[in-house]
Order: sequence, then structure tokens, then C-alpha cells
Amino acid sequence: MTATTLAKLPVGASARVTDVKADPVLEQRLLEMGLIPGASVTLIRIAPLGDPMEFRVMGYSLSLRRNEAAAVAIEVLP
Amino acid sequence: MNRTDRHTVALIGNPNTGKSSLFNALTGARQKIANFPGVTVEAKLGVLKLEHTEIDLIDLPGTYSLAARSPDERVAIDGLLGRAKGMAKPDGVLIVVDASSLDRNLYLATQVLEFGLPTVLVLTMVDVATERGISIDMDKLSAALGAKVVAVNSPKGENLDILKQTLHQTLHHPAKPLELPYPEDFRRGVDTLYQQLCDIGIKLGYTPARPESLRLLVDASGPFLEECEEVAGPEFTRQLHEIRDKASGGRSLALIESTARYGQIGQWMLQAKRTQNREGRTLTDKIDAVLTHKLWGTLVFVLVMGLIFQSIYAWAGPLMDIIDSGFGALGDLVGSTLADGMLKSLIVDGIIAGVGGVLIFLPQILILFLFIALLEDIGYMSRAAFLMDRLMARFGLSGRSFIPLLSSFACNIPGVMGARVIEDRNTRLTTIFLAPFMSCSARLPVYTLFIAVFVPAQKVLGFIPLQGLVLFAMYWVGVLFAIPTALVLKRGILKSKVTPFLMEMPSYKMPRARNVLRVLWDRGGSFVKRAGTIILALSIVVWAAAYFPHSDEIEQKYDAQLEALQAKYEPAVVEFEPDFEAEPQNSLEKIAKAHADHEAAIAELEEEHAEDEEALKAAVLEAESALVKALDDLRSADFETASGQYEAWLEYTEAASAIENDRAGDHLENSYLGVMGKAIEPAVRPLGWDWRIGMAAIASFPAREVIVGTLGIIFHLGAEEDEESGTLRETISNDKSFSLATGLSIMVFFALCAQCAATLAVMRRETNSWKWPITSFVYMTSLAYVAALVTYQVAHALGG
Repeated sequence: MTATTLAKLPVGASARVTDVKADPVLEQRLLEMGLIPGASVTLIRIAPLGDPMEFRVMGYSLSLRRNEAAAVAIEVLP
Repeated sequence: MNRTDRHTVALIGNPNTGKSSLFNALTGARQKIANFPGVTVEAKLGVLKLEHTEIDLIDLPGTYSLAARSPDERVAIDGLLGRAKGMAKPDGVLIVVDASSLDRNLYLATQVLEFGLPTVLVLTMVDVATERGISIDMDKLSAALGAKVVAVNSPKGENLDILKQTLHQTLHHPAKPLELPYPEDFRRGVDTLYQQLCDIGIKLGYTPARPESLRLLVDASGPFLEECEEVAGPEFTRQLHEIRDKASGGRSLALIESTARYGQIGQWMLQAKRTQNREGRTLTDKIDAVLTHKLWGTLVFVLVMGLIFQSIYAWAGPLMDIIDSGFGALGDLVGSTLADGMLKSLIVDGIIAGVGGVLIFLPQILILFLFIALLEDIGYMSRAAFLMDRLMARFGLSGRSFIPLLSSFACNIPGVMGARVIEDRNTRLTTIFLAPFMSCSARLPVYTLFIAVFVPAQKVLGFIPLQGLVLFAMYWVGVLFAIPTALVLKRGILKSKVTPFLMEMPSYKMPRARNVLRVLWDRGGSFVKRAGTIILALSIVVWAAAYFPHSDEIEQKYDAQLEALQAKYEPAVVEFEPDFEAEPQNSLEKIAKAHADHEAAIAELEEEHAEDEEALKAAVLEAESALVKALDDLRSADFETASGQYEAWLEYTEAASAIENDRAGDHLENSYLGVMGKAIEPAVRPLGWDWRIGMAAIASFPAREVIVGTLGIIFHLGAEEDEESGTLRETISNDKSFSLATGLSIMVFFALCAQCAATLAVMRRETNSWKWPITSFVYMTSLAYVAALVTYQVAHALGG
């Protein structure tokens, strides 16, 4: 298991959230949307222009910009 | 019906849960929109009729959380606590929950349940959940939440009666606030803060609710915190920080809150939800594989955007023409029944023209919102935003800004209104502010006129027409200034608030006619009622400025001229008023009709053979010999006399209309508007303008395209001149005070100015504040002035 952030997750890979560190407003929104420590996340696709990214978390699809995804620390699941 | 039989119930839920569908299904057609000052979202009010009870249903804006970082997000809590003006305090809540993403939807539900209001949880999209292999045990869920749970399918009307009954029963039972297992320090923090809040309750002007102290403890910023700090002073802020420190124990308060909620939800789900992992992809996954694909996705996107733009830009045209000519005909009809004078001018030029000026925008607004409502209902809006976000993010916007800005090229008004699809408040405000920079079709007449007059019809590099190039450049002027404006806005006024993009990608759904029609009705109605009144009022003010003082001296002067003219002709000529619809009675009428028929035939031929000059020439020759023959057939005893009278009548009508045009021009020059034009002349001189253009610019405040007609009047050509008119073009090109530099400066000014009362009125309506339209007007006018100044001075120096 490797520690990194959601921004570096390869397409199709899954990970577990370990921490969320951002400015208070972004941090709160990420947490509210279900990116809490322990949640599992899968990167479904990246937009054709390279940003944003679409994740599956808590059974729904959430789109995040790369710099927002970078606020979410993860460990990649095998 | 006594007082206890009337209830108020709030409807709350995440976006994309089918909340609006449910609201429409429960309340039917009787709905009102409630606005909050300074808030750019709206709540809707409707009435739900039960057997012995009427319930006022408040549809609160969709939200993922009660944490309010902006006044817009504050509406949910204000609605729940009955703090909005003209709304009662709800005695019950319907929480709408999407069964296919139950966990995240329950996050908001836990926050709402803490208010302790009688609550019914409404499960929607159970079919989507089933498709994903999710099954929900509603009894266990209900027991866990301590609230009744009803699954509905509002489009099909399934279980709506059960929901109504359940709601009715629930309203008569008191409820207990939900207790979540927060850490002890956190809970104590909420308690302490609640005491503090109650102490300042008098200063706040309302009794704070307990869950509000939780929000104040956790939310780092937002309108509630600002309000408390303002009324309670620095001592309160100091204590708040102390309480927060104690409650957090060094961790993030937002993290404590969210893990407590999701922890509880996870436990409930263990009891109430079963998920079978289904092999294979859902329908949404399959559609997304195409619609977000690099090639196919982009292609579909370009096609959809092209269709939207084309339909607003071109297909709205015929509808607008109908409205335009309808109001023109109405004006003529009313005008013909009224005597000349102020009342006629007020009704025809002020009121009828003003109402027409409002309704003319409806086709574009309705067409844009037809697409927006459809795409939103289907779920494509988020995909379009997903595709475009990177491009728009460079300018501090989001992917959702794309459609409003694109439609602004057709008309700024639907563009500003379309910005409501943007969830984030700051991005929405930025988009609204930028929309008027896009070169709308109302600027086109201004460009067309001045390009035709001043830009030579030659080719650059042998194949690019110069006139087309200048027109193209004018379209880019706005975009060019919009980009730095967006960046300044993001770093300036709207900077302090970071705006996360986070966007849910909902599953695809079939659009519902009822939802779409509802949106069209709401948007059209709100434009006509709220923006329309402002536009009409402004049109009348500008009409009055152009009409008064309407001095008798000028009237008498031209009356005398007209009398003198009439004295030169015999009464048969002066009184001759041909009616080409009726059968001609005498030789004069027959001759006039033959000429009129001939002119109509020529006009038809010109249209028919617009492409083929040779064919046109031949056809015209043929028509002319037909006229000669027709006149020949009319030869009779009094033919020569009648012919003479006809010639005299032509001469007379031309001279008379010249006098009327002079009269109108003279009145305008001496009106308050003309006086204003002369007063601002020193200010517009450096732009290469004289008082006439200055005045026309002021007169075009209600709508830019008015400048062309105003120039027609002030050049004594009459109000009927348009940008295609050869006479107006000729007059301007012969006028010494106009030059290429002046023409460019006028075009640049009109590309950048906010000379459109309708856009400003819609901005006021969408932002619920005068701050934005005023800022926009001042900013854009200054920008337009400076840019026109630079354009003129540079072009003039280069010898233009």
C-alpha cells in the first residue's frame, strides 16, 4: 500500500481516504460529500481536457478538480 | 377551517433527488416564488390539499449540508426556522432522499433531524437503487432514524397518497431531536455555545435554535458567524475561539462532525441496507462512456452547444419578428384612434413600445430555458460542465458557466438568467457579471451601420473581406475585456471566498414534461413580472426625456411651414389619401394604385432575383412595360389632370414628410434628452463624438439598438430608419463630424457599455440586489469610455 493523494490515483484504481487537509471551506465540503477517513474511492475517468476527475465514493459519482483531489490523502488499495 | 388545520411544511433535500418533481406533484400548478434579499437562489411556495387540512409547502433550495458559507446556503436554515419574510415557521419537514446514494443523502437528513421537527423521510429513485443491487429495509431505516419513511415515484404518482397520509399523521405527533454520538468535548462545546447564543438572542432579534450553535462551532466562516460577531462584539469572538479550541481537542471540528454523522449513518446502513455487487455496468456508466469520451463526448457537446446557440440566435428570430410587428401594428391601430399629442405619444411610443420591448426577449429566454431544463433534467448539464471545466477554470469560472456565456452572444438576458444553473454563488455572480461583455445580437445593428458607412468593402490579403474582419473583431472586443475582468473579480471582490468546484454527477434520467414546463413558466413569468416592470418604467422615463418640453414654438413653426406648403397645392392633392385595399373609384385613385402595385411587384422581384442581376434587370423591364400598359388602359377624359395631380401628390407628400421629420428632429434637439446630449458634449468630444451621438447613446439606455432609430430622427430622416437604410448611411458618411475614427469609437463603446436596461433589470432580479447591476453599469460604462477614447485617439492619429 502506497500513501499518496487522490490527484495521483490512476484511472480505474481504488484507494482508502486517510486524511483531508485543505482550507476550512474546501475541507468541510470534501468531508460532507463523503470523503471521510476510511471511505473507499475509485477514479472512474478524467475529463478529456485533463481536469476535472470523476470519482466514485459512497455509491455515487463526484467530480473534483485535480487541485481539490490533491487535498485528500489516500492509501492505494491493491 | 380553524387555525390548527393549517400547517407549514418545509421540503428539503440534496440537489438531483427529484425534489422539484415531488413538489410539483404535491402542489400542482399553484406555486409562488419567494425571494430573499441579496440571495441568488429562491424558495418556492405551494399548497398541498389534504382532506381536512391545507399545508403550505416550502420548497427549499437543494443543498448537501446545512453548513452555510454564503447567504445563499443560509436559506435552508432560515427556511427551516421560519425566519424568511412572509413565511411561517414550519411545523414539519419532508426530507427527500435519493435511495441510490442513500449514505450521502442521509448526511443532510441527520442535520435536519437534529432540529426535532416532525419529519417524514421520502425515498426517491428506488428503481435506480434496485438496478444497482441496493435494497433498503424501510421499517428498519424508519426505526433507526426515529422518523416515518415513505418511498415514492412522483412522475408516476406512486405512493403520493400514502405520503400525504403519513405527513398528516406525523404533524400531530411531537418529535424528538436526533441525538448523535459526538465526542464529549464536542458536545460540551455545542452546549456552552448555545448558552452564549441565547444570551445574545435579543441582539440577534430571534431565538437561536440549538443546532445553530453546532453550526457556529464548526463552520469556519459564513453569514451567521458574521452576524453574531457584528451584534455581540469582539468579546464573543474571543470566547468562540476558546470554546472551539476546547471542543476540538486539536482535531478539525469539521472532521469530528462529519465522522460522527457518517459513522452513525454507516451503523444504520448495516441494519437497513443490503448491497449485492452486480456484475456489469449501469446504464449511466454506458452512456457516460460515450458522452464524456475524448472524441465522441466532445463531438456531442459541440453539436448540443451549436444547437442551443443556433436556436436562440436564429430560430427565436421569427417569433421575435411576430412580437415586434404585432406591437408595431397595435401601436399603429391605437395611434390611428387617438388625436396627435402627448397622450398618443405616451401610449404609442412610451407604453406600447415599452411593453413590446419587454416581451420581445421572451422567445430567447424560453428557448434557452427549454434546453437548460431538458439538459438539467436528463443529467447532461453536469457532463457538459465536466467537459468544459478546465477551459473555464482558467478564467476563474466553472464548467457550468459555459452555457450562460455562450447564450449571451445571442442575448445577454437569457445569459444572465441561465447563470442560475451554477451551484456556487461566487462563480454564479462572476458569470452574471461577465455575461454583458459577450457581444449580443442587439449590438449588431450598430456594427452593421457603422461598418457599412466607414469600412471600405475591400479585401485583406486578397481574400478576407475587411468589413467582415472588423465585425469579427468587434465580437472579440468584449471577450478580450471579459477575461481580465474575470481574473480581477476572482482576485478582488470575490477573492476572500474560495470556491470549491465539487460536483455530483447524477445518473441519467428521462426528462419530465411537467418539470420542464414548470421551469419555462417560472422563468418567463419572473422575467415579465419582475424585470418587465423595471424595463417598462425606464422606457417611459426615456420617452419623457425625449418628448418634453415639446415646445409650442416648434409646433407653430412647422405648422406654419405645413400650411404654406399646403397652400401651394390644390385641395384634391392635399386631401388625397389613397387606400390601396379598396377598389379605386376615380382616375387619380386608379393611377395611384397602378403605381403602388408596380412598386410592390418590383420589391417582390428584387427578392426573387436577389442573386441574379441579369434576370432582375429583365424582370424589372417587363414590369415597367406592364405599368406603362396598365396606365395606358386607364386613359380617359380626365387622365391628364389626374396624372398631374398624382405627380403633385408625390411631390407634396415628400415635402410634407420632410417637414414632419424636421419637426421631430427639432423637438428631439430641444428635448431634455437633447439638452443632456449637449451638456455631455465636452465629455464625449475626446471620443470623436458630437452632442447628437452623445444624446443617442443616452437615449439607447433602455436598449442599444435604439441608437439607430434615434440617429434617424436627429438627422431629420424620421424614426423608421434602420441599419440597412441607404439614406441614413449616406447622411452619416456625408456628415463632416463623422469619420472612420468616430465610427470605430462608437462601435467599441457599444461593444463594451452596459446600455441595456433589460440586462440590468435581470441582474437585479437574479442577484436580488441593486449592487450588482449598478457596479456592472458603472464599470462597463467607464471601460467603454476609456476604450472608445483610446480607439478614437489612436485611429485619428493614424489618419482615420
